[in-house]
Amino acid sequence: MAEAGGRDSAGGGRAAPILRVEGLALRYLTRQGDVRALEDVSFALARGESLGLVGESGCGKTSLANCLMRLLPDNARLTGGEVLLDGEDVLLLSEDEIRSVRWRRISLVFQAAMNSLDPVYRVGQQVLEAIEAHGVETTATGGRERVARLFRLVGLDAGVFERYPHELSGGMRQRAVIAMALACDPDIVIADEPTTALDVIVQDRILRELKRIQEELGISIIYITHDMAVVAEVTDRVGVMYAGRLVELGETASVFGSPLHPYTEALMSSFPSVTGAKRPLASLAGEPPDLADPPPGCAFHPRCAHATALCREQRPPRVGLGDQWAECWHPLAADAVPLGGD
Amino acid sequence: MRSWSTRSPAPGASPEPRGGGLGGGRLRLLQARARLALRSFRSGMAVFLESRLGLLSLLTIGVFALMAVAHPILMGTVWDADTYDPVTGYAFDATEQPAPPSWKHPLGTDPLGRDVLSQLLSSTRSEFALGITAALVTVTIATTVGAVSAYYGGLVDSFFMRFADLVIALPSISLLIVLSALFDLSLFYLALVIGVLGGFGGTAIVLKSQALSIKVKPFIEAARMAGGGQFQIIFVHIVPNLLPLSLLYMMFTVTSAIFAEAVLSFLGLLDIRMSWGIMIHTANAGGYLLSGTKYWWLVFPAGASITLLCSAFYLAGRALDEVVNPRLSRRDG
Amino acid sequence: MASYLARRIAQMALTLFLILTVTFVLVQAQPGDYASFYALNPDLPPDVKEQMRATFGLDRPVWQQYLIHMRNTVTGNFGVSFGHFPRPVLEVLAERLPRTIVLFGTATAASVYIGFLLGKAIAWRRGGLLEYTATISGTVLFTAFTPAFALTMIWLFAFRLGWLPVGKFLDPLVWRDADVTSTSVFSFMLLTAVAFVGFAALVLFISGRGDRIGRRWPATLALAAGALVAALAWTLSGIGPLALDILKHMVLPVATLTLISFAGTMLLTRNSMLETVREDYVTAARAKGLPDGQVRDRHAARNALLPVVTSLIYSLIFALDGSVIVESVFSWPGIGLTLLEAVRSEDLPLVMGAIVFIGFLSLLSHLIVDVLYAYLDPRIRYQ
Repeated sequence: MAEAGGRDSAGGGRAAPILRVEGLALRYLTRQGDVRALEDVSFALARGESLGLVGESGCGKTSLANCLMRLLPDNARLTGGEVLLDGEDVLLLSEDEIRSVRWRRISLVFQAAMNSLDPVYRVGQQVLEAIEAHGVETTATGGRERVARLFRLVGLDAGVFERYPHELSGGMRQRAVIAMALACDPDIVIADEPTTALDVIVQDRILRELKRIQEELGISIIYITHDMAVVAEVTDRVGVMYAGRLVELGETASVFGSPLHPYTEALMSSFPSVTGAKRPLASLAGEPPDLADPPPGCAFHPRCAHATALCREQRPPRVGLGDQWAECWHPLAADAVPLGGD
Repeated sequence: MRSWSTRSPAPGASPEPRGGGLGGGRLRLLQARARLALRSFRSGMAVFLESRLGLLSLLTIGVFALMAVAHPILMGTVWDADTYDPVTGYAFDATEQPAPPSWKHPLGTDPLGRDVLSQLLSSTRSEFALGITAALVTVTIATTVGAVSAYYGGLVDSFFMRFADLVIALPSISLLIVLSALFDLSLFYLALVIGVLGGFGGTAIVLKSQALSIKVKPFIEAARMAGGGQFQIIFVHIVPNLLPLSLLYMMFTVTSAIFAEAVLSFLGLLDIRMSWGIMIHTANAGGYLLSGTKYWWLVFPAGASITLLCSAFYLAGRALDEVVNPRLSRRDG
Repeated sequence: MASYLARRIAQMALTLFLILTVTFVLVQAQPGDYASFYALNPDLPPDVKEQMRATFGLDRPVWQQYLIHMRNTVTGNFGVSFGHFPRPVLEVLAERLPRTIVLFGTATAASVYIGFLLGKAIAWRRGGLLEYTATISGTVLFTAFTPAFALTMIWLFAFRLGWLPVGKFLDPLVWRDADVTSTSVFSFMLLTAVAFVGFAALVLFISGRGDRIGRRWPATLALAAGALVAALAWTLSGIGPLALDILKHMVLPVATLTLISFAGTMLLTRNSMLETVREDYVTAARAKGLPDGQVRDRHAARNALLPVVTSLIYSLIFALDGSVIVESVFSWPGIGLTLLEAVRSEDLPLVMGAIVFIGFLSLLSHLIVDVLYAYLDPRIRYQ
């Protein structure tokens, strides 16, 4: 199942993926002007696949996640694109309809588990709340049993039901939040930095748990992270985001093995290698661009070692190598060919 | 002064705190601090001015200040003391008292034949005197108590905080009523009592928690390592940083002082010759209040003045709160 | 929770001790001798003077007087009232305390409830007409000169419209043929109110220990049934009209007190709510697909309530002062009016008794707020 997703061609040409994002664009209206948080983002997600989205903070990863669930602040404006969930555009749904998509179809594992659990309610009640809101279980005992099953699934004791968030350890809280995300049998779980706040050992255990659960339930997971180690460990495919754009997408192994985009390469080398081969640890110079006033041409050119006049003036084309693609004038693999149709 | 003028032509341009004598270094530090304060004052002012209610409140306070200034001028020029004195005057020209508004008496006269406008204006002055005295006393005490108990902690802190609990627990109007039974409260003593109550009460607690957050800042540690004495650290480094918040609480103290005075005067418990509260007390004692709108000039000007000036100080305080209190700032939104 | 409450009660005992000390110091510091105050009062027969002298230890050294003062307060021995001679101070205050508690308690509950609802609404939908109207009218009422506002209320609703009585506790015409005293009727009313509140607390406790996220109609039904039973009992008891008369006299002072104090809670709730809506758990609640109202009430507002309850102490003191003023304007015979009358008639024992009672009342409301807070915040409850 997971491998099938990996073999998916660029842009998602395979029959009926569960989620397709096409040309998504999002702006935030601020006093400093419009911030272009997302620009022309397209990708597809197959059933049971796990996709990683990586990039520096502020590159639009979390905005993308919020778009998928339509959890946007008041000053956000969707300026284009569509989010097709089983062929239905989430962005066109009414407020009532989107509510039945949230959690039932797409759910979220939040960045900071401590903050995403309401401190004044028992943990079990908060999971039960989602179950009751969507009518997944009709009886009170059914709901409780379901919560107990979910807790068992994520390795939590049933007694956690009656506990308050402040009584749990960081790892337990994270598990509770994962149990909550699974409460309504969603098709897709978005895990937004699911393990950043935890220590490495707990981190590892929870990631493995997530992977096991994913295989057991056959759900799709989108991992949003800046941690390359997480991506390497649990994802089938990975998308690299920079300044609100998806700049490279491909199978995790091939993106790690031979990145096309210079930014991807820089990102890889700024983390210790996990795949074995020793590389010098280079940190990326410079700052990500100001999205209220993005540079012309390729947004990465001010920090790119390979940048030419062309990069400074014109938007880079999409080039591909197998099922991997990137938006770059000077891809790192010479045999990458321009992709048509965009 | 001298050490600064001989040292460098562009003060503050080159940081050399070590080499120069203490005087020069300190002066430059003060200048830098003043510049920083000025800058934050400007940006703060911008936020303050954005709040329309805050601006309106400042304007209202300004109008009342003009009224306070106007009274002695009018008494000195167009009003003769026999007719217009707020306490001892008598309007011989009116056929019955209280007389409705007329050209000679724009707000009419009270049941004792005294000019209401003159009473209103002269009271404004005492309200300002009362409010500002009380506020200064409050802020002096609260800043000192807050800084001292934050700096020393322990027993000193416990003592002041328990004391603050006590002051908060006693409803101040009720306490003032009791005090008025035991002592003759003049305007000055009233201001003093209100100021002391405010200074040892809630304001001290707020300023202490602010002082606690200042105490852990690096520059306090730096001052201590540079050999600053306790007194110096408290009054030179902590207290100035408490001033913006103190200013905020001054506003609220003014409100409560004016309010308390008005209530006590209305109840007839104070040893004061004239005030807005006394004006209403006089009208109420004569039974004019429940006659509805017929004798409006006896109640409305004084009542509206109390409400307006209280809410002006209160709303100005709240607008200032948006500037001083970072949690409420809406600049990023 | 137990240790938290024990600590708070210990602190309060200390505060009460300080209040008593301060009152003692004030009396000692006043010009003129406390002893001569009694000695010169012409209303007192000599044997009472002698008795007072013994009660307060007036011929002993100051430090002994202080100890006696403390002992007297603890045993409730405040001496005899001059103004209500020969009734003891404690008796006068005991009669009037419930009236103040009812006035103050009802108005506080109403103003906190209204303020919380409005604050919640204006924080959730910012910049609307409601926000402007509520903020401006609330602030004006909050800062309005209370006596003038109270008199305006009387003028409008009692004189102009004639809907409600002018003031005082009851209407003598209604009570002329009654064979019960107003105090006993009032005690029954108080008893009913306390019983109902206790019943409500019990119902809420049983229906899921207060923090269960779930259906609420069974609890609502039970509460309605309880209210019905109470109403029925009063109708059948025969003293219903008398109780109604007292209630009618209560409406205007309670409304006045509510109107002047709701803005504090409202503005506080608004500020607190503006902070909680930015919390992750509110986003999480929305992500869970909960209806808008549920996200607002059960998550954003529920957490915004905590700082509001903490600051309730300040609004309670404000309202306590307000009730002194309101009682004096409406001639409502509670502790506040008693204090004022005692001050005017130089009834010093009654003054001291009243201020101790007011301080005690304020500490009691502190304690109630603390219990409420501990109940609302599991982080305190399960320490």
